[in-house]
Amino acid sequence: MAFVVLKNLTYLYPTSEKPVLRNLSFHIQEGEFVAVVGPNGAGKSTLCYALAGFVPHFFKGEISGEIEVNGRKSSESTLDEWVLNVGLAFQNPFNQISGAKYTVFEEIAFGLENIGVPREEMKKRVEDAMSLTGIGDLADRSPYSLSGGQQQRVALTSILVMRPRLLVLDEPTSQMDPIGAREVFGVVRKMAEEGMTVVMVEHKVEWIANFADRVIALKEGQILLEGSASEVLTSEALVENGFGVSRYTSAAREAKKKGLWKKERLPVTLDEAAEGFNLTRNA
Amino acid sequence: MFENIKKEFTTRTLVLIPIAIAINIAIGELVVRLKLPVYLDSIGTVLVGAIAGPWAGALTGGLANLIWGLFNPFAAPFFYVAAAIGLMAGFAGKRGAFQNETPRWVSVVVGAVFVFSLTLFILAFINASTDETGYTSYPSMSQLFSQYLGIFIFAILAGAAIGYFLLQKGGYAGMWGLITGIVAAIISAPTAAYVFGGVTGSGTDLLVAAFRASGGGILASVLAQGSVSDPFDKMLSFMVVWLIIRSLPARFTSR
Amino acid sequence: MNALGMYVARESGLHSLHPLTKVLLTLLFITAGLTLPGNWTGYFIVAFIVFPLAFWGRVVSNLFSATWKVSLPFAISVILIHGFFWGEGTPVFEVGILSPKWEGAIFAAISMGRIILVMSVFLLFSMTTRPDALMITLKQAGVPSSIAYIIVTTLQIAPSFQRKALTILDAQRSRGLETEGNLYIRAKALIPLILPLVLGSLMEVEERAIAIEARGFNSGKKETSLIEIPDTPLQKNIRRIVIFSIFGLIVLGVLWRL
Repeated sequence: MAFVVLKNLTYLYPTSEKPVLRNLSFHIQEGEFVAVVGPNGAGKSTLCYALAGFVPHFFKGEISGEIEVNGRKSSESTLDEWVLNVGLAFQNPFNQISGAKYTVFEEIAFGLENIGVPREEMKKRVEDAMSLTGIGDLADRSPYSLSGGQQQRVALTSILVMRPRLLVLDEPTSQMDPIGAREVFGVVRKMAEEGMTVVMVEHKVEWIANFADRVIALKEGQILLEGSASEVLTSEALVENGFGVSRYTSAAREAKKKGLWKKERLPVTLDEAAEGFNLTRNA
Repeated sequence: MFENIKKEFTTRTLVLIPIAIAINIAIGELVVRLKLPVYLDSIGTVLVGAIAGPWAGALTGGLANLIWGLFNPFAAPFFYVAAAIGLMAGFAGKRGAFQNETPRWVSVVVGAVFVFSLTLFILAFINASTDETGYTSYPSMSQLFSQYLGIFIFAILAGAAIGYFLLQKGGYAGMWGLITGIVAAIISAPTAAYVFGGVTGSGTDLLVAAFRASGGGILASVLAQGSVSDPFDKMLSFMVVWLIIRSLPARFTSR
Repeated sequence: MNALGMYVARESGLHSLHPLTKVLLTLLFITAGLTLPGNWTGYFIVAFIVFPLAFWGRVVSNLFSATWKVSLPFAISVILIHGFFWGEGTPVFEVGILSPKWEGAIFAAISMGRIILVMSVFLLFSMTTRPDALMITLKQAGVPSSIAYIIVTTLQIAPSFQRKALTILDAQRSRGLETEGNLYIRAKALIPLILPLVLGSLMEVEERAIAIEARGFNSGKKETSLIEIPDTPLQKNIRRIVIFSIFGLIVLGVLWRL
């Protein structure tokens, strides 16, 4: 039995006219790291809200189909129960700072206070989570004094500390520099290896290729492609449908037309590209 | 009733309240920068009442004054007045004052009635006389009408003009603002008079001085001052919120 | 505006008192000043209780200058209104239409005593108590945690709203919005300033609500607290006595005036 099951999910926001998610179905295994890509308006953020319980428990609107996590149906659960199992971090870091706390350490503990974790355990968990994401040195800073990238790390840490079974991330590294983003991908990969299931919406296709187990390409609320990162991210269909693709993929596709790229599969990352072009030169 | 109150305090409402109080403070600052003779420091409070309901509005007003009291303690004792403003805004919202358009003739009537009543109140106050035993007698209506007929006609015309040009299609919201202002003036006067000797440390103190000079007692002068400045201020605040609500995307007001 | 209110970080006995003790003492001093008979009670409490406490809390000069700053406009008004516009009474002197009365002067002095009392007591409290510590103790005393959320969040986001308002003011000015001139022009300028500020902020509400709900804000579980606020049996007893005294003073104050 898959850990996450979406069955024919269709959803319409209260004031909009056409559905954002249309008859969407997929399965995710426990401990799998799935990346979701898609152009603007594909329904990526709405999918995140649906997995995290906010559709339909927070945003009303019309919903049909089923969302199941760990054998429980979202429709038969309340949002407050749901968030204990499913964590959500999203793009805008400023709006994720609770505002109710004066230091980063207290901010990260906010969620644990809300669910009644005893003080000593709370301290331990906050310290562990902060060292995991590498923000130990920010503990006494005001969350409002941080850069966007640092705030995004705090937001991610604030969710990780709750130890969700399913982690839903909606462009969590958009304001980070490349080194920072790479580190965060590494952390998320590690969480997946320890058994956390991860769904991550992301534009940085090269990192996806490096870290994700599987990619779902979403268009107009439906699955366009689904499969391994190198399968999906190098597909001709992505270009035709206006998805962002890796510059190495585009370069190799051009090279292939001129006969300079000999391999069957196109590259996504720099390493794959370097390796592939090397091969052609040696041949 | 208790269930209804609880229903108002969704997470959205709780998140909205700090933003609303911050809006109160920020607009208060803008008004000072523009050197306008109004406060407009309860727009956020009125907004919460309008969007989330009377009890949420009341909590916003009360906490706004207590928080501001950390910086300037003058605000703190008036927390209950600010709460009443939020409460009234909530009742106005429940009756659709912020969502609906008012026919312009209604706005004209609201403006005329209000300015007429205010004029009547002030003239009665100025012409009151106190005898040696401390008994205050007010002039009769017919006396005032015959004496100040010109002023009354002018007041009605001025009120009608305010209604037509200023309230426009927001006459209903403006009317609720005026009523709220009167309520605020009445309930704040005792605290202002007793705790602060009738002064606010701002420009409106000149009005208190004027009413004192015309022979009014301290409480009465504070009340008279409030009746002149509060309704107008709250009318403008309610009007601004009416404008805001009408420019909000549907998904905000549709719940 | 500062996110910690008027808090002045110092090591002192007053700072380390339990916040609830300070809340109750604040209420006690104000109640006493407003209910006890005698025209000079306010001044007595300020001179013999509030400032000695401020000395203990090592904030005398901060308290003095802040009280002075917030009370001065009131002093001017009180003296002008009651000094010069008092109705019947014994004139101090008469120069043309100016005729200040002794009764007015005394009333002005009494009012000033109350004003200074309220100002200094509140300011002393806010200078020696961290808002978050106060909130933790209020939560423990049974006040809903949403109140604590609202108060601390307001203190933290209000400064950024003030900046946002001024940024919008500058932006609209550079786009040619007239903000100087007669009253009508300045009043008309207000709407293009308010609408972007308010509409922009309302768009944040949804995401902020989602973010805290995702962290169990509504979980309905019994909350715990990361920070522990030290309390002592002595302070608990003092608080009981203070509550009793406040009610006693109110009852006495009413009886006195009947």
